[in-house]
Amino acid sequence: MTYPYIFLLVVTGGIVPLFLLHHFRLMRLSGVAGIGTGCFIGFVCSLTDLLANTARTMSWEWLGLLPLSFRIDILSAFFLIPIFLIGLAATLYSYHYLDDKDKRIRVSVHYFFLSLLIISMALVVMADSMISFVLSWEIMSVASAALILYNYDEKANRRAAYRYFIFSQGGGLFVIAAFGLLFNNSGDFSLVAAEGLPQGTRLVIFLLALIGFGSKAGIMPLHAWLPYAHPAAPSHVSALMSGVMIKIGIYGILRMYLCLSPDANTVGPLLIILGAVSGTLGVVYALGQHDLKRLLAYHSVENIGIILIGIGVGILGIAAQRPFIALFGLTGGLLHVWNHALFKSLLFMGAGNVLHAAGTVNINRLGGLMKNMQNTGILFLVGSLAICGLPPFNGFISEFFIYIAGFNGAGAGLDPMPFLYIILAVLSLAVIGGLAVACFTKVVGVVFLGEPRTNAAGSAHESGWAMIMPMICIGITCLAIGLFPGFFSMPAVTVSRSIIGQGAPDIMAILSFCRSISLGGAGFLLFLGLLICMHRLFYRNKQVAYAPTWGCGFTRPTAKMQYTSTSFGRSIVQFYQPVTQVTEEYKEIKSLFPSPSAYRSHMVDRMDDWGDRYVGSSVEGLCKRLRFIQHGFIQFYIAYIVIAVIVLLLYQLVR
Amino acid sequence: MELVDIVLSLIFLSILMSLGSSRLLQLIRVMSFQGVLVPLVPILIAPQYQPMSLSTAFASLMLLIKGVLIPLMLWVAWRKIAIRREVEPLIGYNASLIAGLAMILFSVFISSQLHLVMDRPGSSLLLPCAITTIGAGFFLLMARRKAITQIIGYLMLENGIYLTGAALAGHAQTHYVVEFGILLDLLVGVMIMGIILHRINTTYDDIDTAFLKELKD
Repeated sequence: MTYPYIFLLVVTGGIVPLFLLHHFRLMRLSGVAGIGTGCFIGFVCSLTDLLANTARTMSWEWLGLLPLSFRIDILSAFFLIPIFLIGLAATLYSYHYLDDKDKRIRVSVHYFFLSLLIISMALVVMADSMISFVLSWEIMSVASAALILYNYDEKANRRAAYRYFIFSQGGGLFVIAAFGLLFNNSGDFSLVAAEGLPQGTRLVIFLLALIGFGSKAGIMPLHAWLPYAHPAAPSHVSALMSGVMIKIGIYGILRMYLCLSPDANTVGPLLIILGAVSGTLGVVYALGQHDLKRLLAYHSVENIGIILIGIGVGILGIAAQRPFIALFGLTGGLLHVWNHALFKSLLFMGAGNVLHAAGTVNINRLGGLMKNMQNTGILFLVGSLAICGLPPFNGFISEFFIYIAGFNGAGAGLDPMPFLYIILAVLSLAVIGGLAVACFTKVVGVVFLGEPRTNAAGSAHESGWAMIMPMICIGITCLAIGLFPGFFSMPAVTVSRSIIGQGAPDIMAILSFCRSISLGGAGFLLFLGLLICMHRLFYRNKQVAYAPTWGCGFTRPTAKMQYTSTSFGRSIVQFYQPVTQVTEEYKEIKSLFPSPSAYRSHMVDRMDDWGDRYVGSSVEGLCKRLRFIQHGFIQFYIAYIVIAVIVLLLYQLVR
Repeated sequence: MELVDIVLSLIFLSILMSLGSSRLLQLIRVMSFQGVLVPLVPILIAPQYQPMSLSTAFASLMLLIKGVLIPLMLWVAWRKIAIRREVEPLIGYNASLIAGLAMILFSVFISSQLHLVMDRPGSSLLLPCAITTIGAGFFLLMARRKAITQIIGYLMLENGIYLTGAALAGHAQTHYVVEFGILLDLLVGVMIMGIILHRINTTYDDIDTAFLKELKD
């Protein structure tokens, strides 16, 4: 209907700021207005599409031979919703977040790439042919890499963007390889269900695509760009990337599954294992982090793991012809896509507020922020509760659906192997949930509670309304999904029913669960309200004295006496010793009058480390050996082109 | 003997001359000569000559740009910056001439392999001539060091593309539109190259593109 106009609006919002360099406020306003309005209309359109549940196509020829066609079906519409919603929130957030007038040039360029990123993500999920998919996919990669480069004056950030670029381009190559193989077998560029392919080929294509999309989604061995890119990018960009862009990888996996329908008995367990590894290790590595945004990046890996577990359980259910398991697994996984988009962007924005106010996201240098930044603190708490999967917030719903699927599968009647995988899924979900609670207890406790550890943290101030407003909206949505799961999970149910195809169970199966969840949530909130009222009532007319947190009767307590993030997470991280490695350096305190001592610890991400050591160094060695090709002589570069052309020409002529 | 064949033979000659010329000024003169010849070809292969047609106008404009304007700009650039007037080849003149002859053979082979049906005069020489011109353009790009010779290489490449267009499209008017697009690019390219030449010259005291190697990472 109106998507081209929406994209035009968003692009306008991206281009106009480039011409308003001398009116900083107007520049930001125009960017926010253009992109924000476009996203809002896009959100409304995709919502109507999702509810209408019909497919629409647009296409045009490019250069006369490459079909650029786009199609919106229910799966696309399902992913369009978070793109536009979080896009809108992130754009609004940027208005007060990017308020440094000295950086006005990069702010304007940032709006350009932000608009490009939002559009390209929307185009990827709308793409109907391989050509349009790859084209939008590459634009998305380039635009997001440019956004990571926002703080390009620090070397670490440039390296992060470079690392991300390598991963996205490598992943892109795998996607192109998968598409090439598919094209070679099917003979046309369309991404609709391929027919007549041998089962083995389907699986190979799917695995290639899984590697490609997995590198974007951050599945465990391929996650190594996330912990670098997210701290480097501006917070709202991290929110958009972590909340939405990595889900495009999930979309790709789902789309390829629908297109190829590879052997579900292989794919389901594979996805469950990948999800279990990503989920558990993601949260373990997160526990060992001191950088708030890096920690959140590892939680993205964890949540991608949860989504994969859900989808894997669903596919396993399809394979075992247990539609009930399939429905709940897929619905849980898909709903977690939305939920994670919501609470992760909320958390990243909260981290952005902290960075904006205190100038650092090093957890060990913060503390006591709840006193000065109450709104941010409460919203961050909401996000934390949601990501831990605690009721009455949205994370609980999607994880609960996966649990239901798992328990149903564990109940009876499955073959031994699928049964084992289901048990693995349930167990890893439980471990993930527990560790996530520990991790966010650490974050909220160390960052927002207690006493400020540095002056910067002590003098922090609340952020502007443009930063708080989107967070409030997202927070309310988190609560709403948690309280009314029946209403909000309907789209996910419809999508999973369309994936399952024939024999999908009735919606009522889920609705009855949702009703009891709503009831429980409402009861919990009522109880909470009652507690607060009683607290007020009992403490009325009583004198309340305020003392420093962790005062504990000391006459002169200092901020150093608090738990630090390192000490809180240490025992858990050490428990996972084979996959984590903590290097510590400190001088032990021995005598009664000790000299000054310091403690420093650093956790090594084993997966990342191994990747660097074995894959990275060998590739680097190969590149160094091929260095002679790049000699800098312009004549030889021309010769390369000419020789390539002549060889191709002769090949065609002589053949 | 058709008139077209004479013109095409002259173009072959100009290619060999350009490959063999050792002085920049000589090279520019040869290019001017070729620039005058090339626009004539489409008119000559047309079935009947119409003096007041659009193609005549195009050809005369093309002749003005290729034969006069661009050589003039090159000449100005040469006056300004060429301290050493030699062409400074990476591949010697004799070897270049032999390579040119090999290219002619090669293009005759390719033309015969393409199996294009052409019923116009000059058909036997036109396609080989066009492909040789393209090849020689590439050869100049690769085998000569100075930036100004690279412009000339591009110019010759463009001549070759023009001839190929003429060979394939015949007297259809549409290919002039494409051709003008390319020519416009080339004209702008020559101007930009002129500026860059000046910069290279002031930076490195020479216009040898080998110095650009220093810009390598």
